[in-house]
Amino acid sequence: MPRSLALLLNDVSVRYGSTPALDAVSVEVRRGEIVGLLGPNGSGKSTTLAVAAGLLEPFAGTVTACGTRRADDPTAYAMHIGLVPQEPALYDELTAESNLTYFGRLYGLSGYDLRCRVGTVLERVRMDDRAGQRVGTLSGGLKQRLNLACALLHDPPLLLLDEPTAALDPASRDALFADLHRLRDAGHAVLLTTHHLDEAETGCDRIVVLDRGKVIASGKPSDLVRTSPTGRAVLYGQLRERLPLFFTRGLRKRLGPDVEVEVTGRRLRLAADTQEQLGHALALVLTDGIALDSYRTPPGRLETLLRHPAAVEPRREPCDAS
Amino acid sequence: MRRQLNAILAVAGKDWQLFFADKRAALLCFVVPIALASAFGLIFARPTDRTNAVQLPLLVVLDDAGPFTRAVAEDLVNGARVDAEIVTADEARRRVNDRQPGIAVVFPAGFETLASWKPGAAADKPTVRVLYNPLCHGESLWAEGVVSETVMRRLAKAHLAPFVGDAGLSLPFAVAGVEAVDGHHGFNAYSHSFSGMTLQYLLFWGMESGLLLLRDRQRSLWLRTRAAPVSLSSILLGKALSTAAIAFLQVLVTFAFGHLAFGVTVTGSFVGFLLLAVSVSALAAATGLLVAAVGGTEARARSVSILLILGVSMLGGLWLPSFVLPGWARDLALSLPTTWAMRGFDGVTWQGGGLWDSLTSTAAVVGFAALFLAVAVARLITSEARRRRGLA
Repeated sequence: MPRSLALLLNDVSVRYGSTPALDAVSVEVRRGEIVGLLGPNGSGKSTTLAVAAGLLEPFAGTVTACGTRRADDPTAYAMHIGLVPQEPALYDELTAESNLTYFGRLYGLSGYDLRCRVGTVLERVRMDDRAGQRVGTLSGGLKQRLNLACALLHDPPLLLLDEPTAALDPASRDALFADLHRLRDAGHAVLLTTHHLDEAETGCDRIVVLDRGKVIASGKPSDLVRTSPTGRAVLYGQLRERLPLFFTRGLRKRLGPDVEVEVTGRRLRLAADTQEQLGHALALVLTDGIALDSYRTPPGRLETLLRHPAAVEPRREPCDAS
Repeated sequence: MRRQLNAILAVAGKDWQLFFADKRAALLCFVVPIALASAFGLIFARPTDRTNAVQLPLLVVLDDAGPFTRAVAEDLVNGARVDAEIVTADEARRRVNDRQPGIAVVFPAGFETLASWKPGAAADKPTVRVLYNPLCHGESLWAEGVVSETVMRRLAKAHLAPFVGDAGLSLPFAVAGVEAVDGHHGFNAYSHSFSGMTLQYLLFWGMESGLLLLRDRQRSLWLRTRAAPVSLSSILLGKALSTAAIAFLQVLVTFAFGHLAFGVTVTGSFVGFLLLAVSVSALAAATGLLVAAVGGTEARARSVSILLILGVSMLGGLWLPSFVLPGWARDLALSLPTTWAMRGFDGVTWQGGGLWDSLTSTAAVVGFAALFLAVAVARLITSEARRRRGLA
């Protein structure tokens, strides 16, 4: 039995002034699934999320959450949505509880009901022992969990998260995804943006790939990351500690022009034309004394989609209003 | 409706909590206007008892050593109106230049001819020069009057003494100063300074509140707030409510301190005072929203706001009584809310004005606040709509 539709963006187009930002984008998210919006910077991920959150009005297309069109009833629409902005949207000067109380009141909660909801969401993100602590004194990971808790206060069926792991260490990122998986299992629909392939692959049930404001692919991660015979061999690694810039430059020099090296924070990406070249590169990295917490070599088509989107025909997701 | 009211109170309550979250900063918000008002009051306090009036410091230069000229100089030195000292011309020039003091009167050679002056005589008039430092123009006019009176008294004595004797030469009339304020209970400079500085600080508080909103609009907090099922008007009204409530508290605390420390008293209508306090608090809130609405960037808004607030404070008579301003400035000041607020506070504090008297000022301030609020809300709603359509 198909799960009910939580969000439907149908042929949505957005312009910033005269610059097109989204071009006939269609996305659907059902309850009980996590959908990742994936794409390089400027591909339209955050714009899509802003449209879904009701912060941007599309000049064409329709936006519907749980059967309510935003244009028809903005208030009812807003009640279906829980937004988690990229930066923790919290008042550092107030306690965790005061922040939750404030945002709860904006959603019409009050009195006993509000107190219960605050207690429930704090428990849900495992922060019930931090209720009286000032937000400014919390770690980045705890702030992000509280950020999520604020969005859960009115128990919305749909959660929208804008690059939720951008400033998190691996442990906090894993904890956040564990929270999201619990919420999904409880029947929430989750739409998040990311530009990390590994996150999209392991954390999402479905992926929508955007490039220059268009959907170029969508589907299950297993379908998208299926190894392509023509694809490059790629390895994703999690560095134990950040590398100094000079070290990265030296590594790039030693690996030569046939191997691509990218280091973003503690993420490492190596790409080569063949598996053999990739194996040599990995060996050189390890003999250089660079410690990796983990590494994987899964991608195929998804890698191609993100690195060489022009080679892929845009693809539209079928719309189903059921 | 109920949801929007709940949202207004939520925003106001949150801002109230944020204000008091930093206790030291909150304390300073009350201490600064009190310190400023006390300093201004101390500097500008003058005795109101005319018998203890301040004497004008004055230098006297005698280029004529005749007995009549010397007698005039001695009258000035011994009189109660000026604090005069006889010096040489060089010393007078040097000291006037240094403003120690800023005025000197020079009795020229030939001044003695006045001793033989007859009414109707067509003789050349000697010219008494008043040397003054450019910063003491007002005092030079005061000196001119005192010197003229002293010379004329001495002339009258010379011409009329043979007929009536010394005893009959006093002025044939009396002059009495009367403070023309009904119900006056004792003016002191602190009444004016506490009203003025409180008003000025309220405008600064309004500005700060507006800058906070400006800053909030650039943060992710604004995204979450705007994604909530709450209208922009409710959010703005909540902001205005908290700003006004804190401003009202500042008025009460500042005046309470003024009353306890310096005897600043509401001698007129207390209800009138409270209505004025509410209206100026609303004005502070509306000013804040206006800053957020038209300020552009935070740095630009801060610079322009400070300039405007200092300008309207000076013209509105918040620092010094407005009568020291030129006529055109006083006329211009009638178009400013600060002028009306100051008139209202002067009225109910030391002038003993009743409720009815204060209502004109209150109505004017409320009018300005409503105008600012309407412009700010309209502008912010337009700006948000443009942002939502991807145009800003």
